[in-house]
Amino acid sequence: MKPERENPATFFEQVEADVLGAMQKPEKTYWLALLGAMTCFGIGLACWGWQIYSGMHTSGKNNPVGWYMYITDFVFWVGIAHSGTLISAVLFLFRAKFRKAFNRTAEAMTVIAVMTAGLFPLIHLGRVWFFYWLMPYPNQRLLWVNFRSPLVWDVFAVSTYFTVSAVFFYVGLLPDLAIARRRVTGIRQWIYRVLSLGWRGTATQWTHYEKLYGFLAAFATPLVISVHSVVSWDFAMSVIPGWHTTIFAPYFVAGAIFSGCAMVLTLTIPMRKVLRLEQYITHDHFEALAKVMLFTSLIVAYAYILEYAMAFYTTNVFEQAHFNFRLLGDFRYPYWLMCFCNVLLPLTLFVRKLRRNLAYLMVVSLLVNVGMWLERFIIIVTGLSHDFDPYVWGNPNLSWIAIGITLGSFGMFFTFFLIFVKVLPVLAITELKEERAHETIHV
Amino acid sequence: MKRFTFDDKDAFLAKLKELLASGVPARRIQIVTPIPVHEALHMLKVPASPLKFFTFTGALTGFVAGFALTIYTSLSWPLITSGKPIVAIPPYMIIAFELTILLGALASLIGFLHLNRLPSIPHILNPDETGNQYVIFVEEDQ
Repeated sequence: MKPERENPATFFEQVEADVLGAMQKPEKTYWLALLGAMTCFGIGLACWGWQIYSGMHTSGKNNPVGWYMYITDFVFWVGIAHSGTLISAVLFLFRAKFRKAFNRTAEAMTVIAVMTAGLFPLIHLGRVWFFYWLMPYPNQRLLWVNFRSPLVWDVFAVSTYFTVSAVFFYVGLLPDLAIARRRVTGIRQWIYRVLSLGWRGTATQWTHYEKLYGFLAAFATPLVISVHSVVSWDFAMSVIPGWHTTIFAPYFVAGAIFSGCAMVLTLTIPMRKVLRLEQYITHDHFEALAKVMLFTSLIVAYAYILEYAMAFYTTNVFEQAHFNFRLLGDFRYPYWLMCFCNVLLPLTLFVRKLRRNLAYLMVVSLLVNVGMWLERFIIIVTGLSHDFDPYVWGNPNLSWIAIGITLGSFGMFFTFFLIFVKVLPVLAITELKEERAHETIHV
Repeated sequence: MKRFTFDDKDAFLAKLKELLASGVPARRIQIVTPIPVHEALHMLKVPASPLKFFTFTGALTGFVAGFALTIYTSLSWPLITSGKPIVAIPPYMIIAFELTILLGALASLIGFLHLNRLPSIPHILNPDETGNQYVIFVEEDQ
């Protein structure tokens, strides 16, 4: 918000008009993008339908590779979700100002990505209609779930994560929905009236509101760390070489934030242009996010190196064979590509000029998304395909159904995101106003 | 009910100060603002939010429920898996942790809605918009 320093009241009107202006009748390109996303989503649903109808052999999974693309997609989407919480909750607690440009988009991204991720354990199930067996409930079989299993921890972690992020997203929206309700008419106004619950902005409302926001941020911060730690323990609790390591939790959490920041860039760079929000999301904001990405990429790179160091120092033949296979075996090309995308390419962000070049950031963010998807694929598939006994080694089958479902997950994510962009304010209007009011006092 | 409306925060704060100085008790003053104005909250001596009690109760319930659920269910079907003890505290801690956060967050939300009497049907039906203005309502003397 560098330009002329108009008085706060004018700014208040301006920011409302700009942000809610983005919710006006969509243009042709929007409909085309939505159509494309929905088509991919439809393909994914059709593939899933076919898989349920004809059986799990269509998914490309086999013995020994029993976890394949669906678990890759699951970890990928849960990871994407993480930076939303980082930006909205962790940076809130640290009072990092640049979060205001991204937090609404990132929170929406979190909710949508967790919804997408939550489908994958179900898609991965052989008999999806029994998914509720994952829940602990009194039943006629007198059986309970095994709470010592990381898969059950996952059920609790991911469902808690979804609920708390949805609550956090909604609470952040509340004052903005009250703004939206007076700027639209007809049936839409009634929808916003109901959604804003009759919010007015009285002294007591603001007092409780600020307290609530702080508490939710304080809850979400340890939660976000716990969720991807639990996801990593799905692997680390087993004895498979390449999985059975104590560094997995921090390694996965850093990777999650890394990929999530990349996805925020992928979403906001075009969004800012299409919705004409250049005044609110500036190059400084993007640069700050690029720095977070660079930092987390260094942690991820450190973990990649450490894995080899540990294999080397353990003198454990299985561990060493595994990492040898990862570097030079059947999956070497995806592995090398992953190293390029996640380790080498982000290093260029040390250059300030590149950090501030949006076209370049867009390319990097897309490649980081590719790299992070590959990372999960490599960890899962190389671990299972070459474990202890050469007699049971084997590679998974290429499956168009699994590829279609993966494509469908991107379709679902973008469909929901595009709908979000048109029905809810994409920037936290009230927070921007607060920031400006605060600035004027101290100028 | 008297109503004073301001475009400017400073003018609003000045008027609020003046009203309080002239002896109008804070409980008869209600303000509606587009953003939280801490100076005004301070002047009106708005009591600290008791939301923390809701949060604490929810979080504690979640923590206890997490351990109760895991320990009870394991004992009611005592099947040893992977040589781990039937009541294994470290894994159950994860369930307790997640439920602490889940119920803590939900209780905070419920507490927030309860303390603010939201959703407020009268205000949904008739929002009485004040826009970006800072408004002071003063109740008349009875």
